[in-house]
Amino acid sequence: MKRETSSARLVTCDMIYLYAITDRPELPVPAEPGLEGTSLFSVTHQDIAAVVSPLATAKVPPTEDNLWRHEAVEEALMADRAVLPVRFGTMLADDNAVQAVLAEHYADFVATLERVRGRVELSLRVLWEADQSPTPPSSHEFPRVPQRHSGELRGTQENSGRAYLLARLEEERQRQAWRQRAEALAGEIHTPLARLAAESTRQVLITPRLLLTAAYLVERDQVAAFRREVEALGATYPALRFLCTGPWPAYNFVTVNET
Amino acid sequence: MSELVAKEKEVTLLDLLDRILDKGVILFGDVTISVADVDLIYLGLKVLLTSIEKAEQMRSMAAVRQSAWDVKRET
Repeated sequence: MKRETSSARLVTCDMIYLYAITDRPELPVPAEPGLEGTSLFSVTHQDIAAVVSPLATAKVPPTEDNLWRHEAVEEALMADRAVLPVRFGTMLADDNAVQAVLAEHYADFVATLERVRGRVELSLRVLWEADQSPTPPSSHEFPRVPQRHSGELRGTQENSGRAYLLARLEEERQRQAWRQRAEALAGEIHTPLARLAAESTRQVLITPRLLLTAAYLVERDQVAAFRREVEALGATYPALRFLCTGPWPAYNFVTVNET
Repeated sequence: MSELVAKEKEVTLLDLLDRILDKGVILFGDVTISVADVDLIYLGLKVLLTSIEKAEQMRSMAAVRQSAWDVKRET
């Protein structure tokens, strides 16, 4: 085990906080401070490394500052190596535990590093106007049914039941047509962007207004082209709102199989 | 974020939360500690995260409050 230890590191740390798995363990860790203002160090296993920092406490509250600190470390690492960002809040007992994780998932980590090397993640959300959606499905309340005091009301009752079912049927038909429209439109937007990406993920209508939520794994030198394509799409669909952020570490593309 | 070119700060924060709390390498088992807490936190945020609309609503509410405030000051 090799350790890039900074002189500032205290020996009394209780926990190890894990930021990322990277390649090129020979590179020095960035000067970027870790959580609680500590110095980063790395734990190496063969040709990969875990970038970590000591923690005095076992609690890392997900405050905005802490979240951005975690992210800043990922981004500093991305400058000169392939990075598998680890989910916020991942702590291990000691260096040995970190070593064990690297050894256990070595093959997966190496393969995933290969996939993300030289690439970044771009995020896209596309909003459409709420009034394009049909009235949200009703609470499915049964319509008011006349009191069943006498047989003379039966006819009315049947009519109302029939009307209700027809209305529900129509509602369902509209809902499906609406969803199909959304799928088609999302596809028109997603397809040209996915062409510029090595991999992509997409979800349609997470909420009625959120037409498309997508992530794209893009070669660094394709980022500008990707942005231009988003702008071109924005011009093509002026009624839609395009929210594009990034480059991010490849959070959406580093799922490692767990047993 | 050094490299980031984001149009909307709220959107960027939501995108960060959506990634950092829910994605990335997720390790289970007894080697990791307090990941469960993050799950709980994330579940709490999920409603907010999935509706980016929320950010929009908040912004328009802020605008409404601001104009109400402006009116108040004028009177």
